[in-house]
Amino acid sequence: MEPSGVRFFDIRRVRSASTHVDIDNGVVDSAGISFSDSSVIRVLGPLGWGVVSLDHFDPASAKAREAVLERGLALAQITERKVNLAPALSGLLPVPTLREDPRTVSLEEKTRLLSAIAAAARVEGVVSTRAQYTERAEQVSFLDSSGNEGEYRVVRSGFSVLAVASRDGIVQMGRESRHSLTGLNLRHQEALGREAGERAVALLAAPVPKGGRLRAVLDPELAGVFAHEAVGHASEGDLVLEGSSVLQGKVGERIGAETLTIVDDPTLPEFGFEPMDAEGVLPSRTEIISRGRVAAYLHNRETMAALGHGVPGHARAMEGDAPIVRMSNTFIENGDATRDEVLEECGEGILLIGSRGGQVDPGRGVFQFNAEYGYRIQGGSATTLVRDVSLSGEILATLHDIILLAKDRAMHQGYCGKGGQSVPVSDGAPHMLLDRAVVGGAGGG
Amino acid sequence: MPVVGERGFSAGDLERVIRAGERVADEVEVYLAEGRSVSAELQRDRIDRAEESRSWGMGIRIITGERIGVSSTGDPGAWERCLRAAVDSAHLATPQEWKGLPGPAPLAGEAPCFDPAVDPSPDAAREILWRMREGVAAHPDASITSGSATLSRATLTLANSNGLERTAERTECGCSLEAICGQSTGSEFDQSPFRDIDPVRVGEQAGFLAVHSAGGEPVADGRYPVILSPVAVAQLLAYTVVPALSGRNVHAGRSRLAPLLSTRCMNPALVLRDDPFARGLGATSWDAEGVPTRRIDFVREGTLLAFAYDLKTAYRYGKETTGSAVRGGAGGSPSIGMHVLVLDGKRSDITRERALYVHDVVGAHTANPMSGDFSVECQNAAWMEGGTPGDPVRKAMIAGNFFDALSDLGGIGTDSRIVGNAIIPSLRLTNLQVIGA
Repeated sequence: MEPSGVRFFDIRRVRSASTHVDIDNGVVDSAGISFSDSSVIRVLGPLGWGVVSLDHFDPASAKAREAVLERGLALAQITERKVNLAPALSGLLPVPTLREDPRTVSLEEKTRLLSAIAAAARVEGVVSTRAQYTERAEQVSFLDSSGNEGEYRVVRSGFSVLAVASRDGIVQMGRESRHSLTGLNLRHQEALGREAGERAVALLAAPVPKGGRLRAVLDPELAGVFAHEAVGHASEGDLVLEGSSVLQGKVGERIGAETLTIVDDPTLPEFGFEPMDAEGVLPSRTEIISRGRVAAYLHNRETMAALGHGVPGHARAMEGDAPIVRMSNTFIENGDATRDEVLEECGEGILLIGSRGGQVDPGRGVFQFNAEYGYRIQGGSATTLVRDVSLSGEILATLHDIILLAKDRAMHQGYCGKGGQSVPVSDGAPHMLLDRAVVGGAGGG
Repeated sequence: MPVVGERGFSAGDLERVIRAGERVADEVEVYLAEGRSVSAELQRDRIDRAEESRSWGMGIRIITGERIGVSSTGDPGAWERCLRAAVDSAHLATPQEWKGLPGPAPLAGEAPCFDPAVDPSPDAAREILWRMREGVAAHPDASITSGSATLSRATLTLANSNGLERTAERTECGCSLEAICGQSTGSEFDQSPFRDIDPVRVGEQAGFLAVHSAGGEPVADGRYPVILSPVAVAQLLAYTVVPALSGRNVHAGRSRLAPLLSTRCMNPALVLRDDPFARGLGATSWDAEGVPTRRIDFVREGTLLAFAYDLKTAYRYGKETTGSAVRGGAGGSPSIGMHVLVLDGKRSDITRERALYVHDVVGAHTANPMSGDFSVECQNAAWMEGGTPGDPVRKAMIAGNFFDALSDLGGIGTDSRIVGNAIIPSLRLTNLQVIGA
């Protein structure tokens, strides 16, 4: 029996085993497994939410459940805004099959494979290497007061390798990482380690460019971060509802070229895949920008009810936290040019490659992100290597500046932080040409 | 007395884990973190949710044959599995020089980290939100987009097989508010171990920033003097200088500061220290390995004097621990960190002569941790002269090298505030590249 005054409740429990290996300069610094078990209970009272988060809670115990619902209701008493939930189709997508289940591979073997990647990064000129493996096996169970239930298991794993080169007081780094939802990805990756090492060494001699407004070509990884930072966050229904998104009130409006379509799709078997969203909703694809026009926002049930335009199914949560509206696999659809045509069209400018991350203020509509490295583009081809280049811009102005898209979209994996929660995502795009990009750099030329 | 928590992990239980650990390893350490926090959130101007979180976690570290193993669990009943996982973990680690976990040793004093007035209750959280709302009302053109208030209380216990047993109670209080005026945003926060945060001022300041930054004008590309607020300084420090002070990075070849020990590599006016007894969020009298904490002077009069060490790194490289071990929670191993990083030095009025004042930066985490190069977007930038904020700037990127900036410093402001685990003043940088729009 639920206490009176409870309009709705749901319980999401995540049990997990996390494995890590950390190899620092050839030494296995630490390797091991940790366990956790957290539940989040949301209670919708007469107005808003009361949320209780507990370690090691057993939802099967009727007594424990009653007590926690009472507590949730008591918390909800201080709320002032009436929250309504849109109806949604509950359901569960099949989780992609693991090609090689990381849990069946011994920690010894993982450590050996990771060591080989780290060793490959130690090319001449490299003074330090660090390689890390992370694996997380989750068992998620969900139930709500409407009778919806679901349970699934998912295993995510991946690695990163960092190489540091140093000469005459200059220190530079090269970094590569790959994460996977479909099984162990540690085998035959020495080439990536080598690439990180060689890049660190090459960057020692690379100049920092002078910042300013110029034409920029973004590689698929960085253009994916652009889609995520510049458009994805501003389309999140909770931010739109708060009034802190420049996309508020823009549905149907043209904000970019006819060729521009930006999508978030949690059903894709990429790193941001969700078989069931954190409110038990069956996930589906959302076209945020469709042929240059704002088409929809990303929603949970609450923002869907308040705003419309889109579908619920975009609620996600880190273990132990309450669900919020999040991206999953976010990408810009292919255009029809080749990479070479994009560079040629650019003429004079800069090619930005890889990502050291980014950030956005969606209310002000300003974003910033940093490339791992880049090349000057002269006469339509990539020439000299440059380092420490970043890009910033105003979302609405920059979208109109996307003037050409290639047809070579690729997805890259990462983690996205919002509201103190970090969730696995993937971003992607084809090579993309930006006119009048604001490129930051402290160099002299 | 070790914590006897609601989950019923008694002094006897803790003793049992240590004894079981001693049977399978040379040494064992158990870390218990138990906490309760209550938070509430504003969506626009009204409270739409309140949350309570109760957490319990245990981390076990064992040392056997100079190999270190770790594991953690959130289930008090699963400690035996956790202990086994820690032993398995040790088998994989590369053996290293190890001279033992610390025994009981006197602490240097009491750290200001607990305030009995911090009561994690929904009413207390609501009160803070209401005060922030009052503050914003001073700027009728600004509206709230979101806000939050959190109060938390935790009990930490550390015990090991060398007879060490320490317990500390900690509290934390924090609030933040985001406001908007047209397309101009402003955000402000306050945080403290004590119930001395000022939510009215937070609301007022967020509202002021949103309103004052509206209608900003473009700035021409060029080199300008720039004043970074404590918040902007803290962010850039955290991603450049702080990792470079870690002994682990120093010895692993990942610190630009490694070859500069005992040299004057920063401005002579500058002081940088970890002061675990300062009134900041990470204040503590013992570190995450139970070692008594002490003040570490990293930089004095611009000269680099020390790096930070935990036991593992100190043993590995023949150094002494500086009591710098920290933990993010019960999970994982202790690592090197700061307790309360204090930036200090000769203070002066740095706002008298015209400069671009930057309240916050977007993208500090993309700075290059090896070289210190950064190029970040400004939040709420405005020209400042004679101590008052003047014309706002619509959009600007600033780029430079943070190590070099600390060397060419134009002055240290008379203000200081808590930003995360640091207490930081504003800084004047003499000659920074600014890219307008």
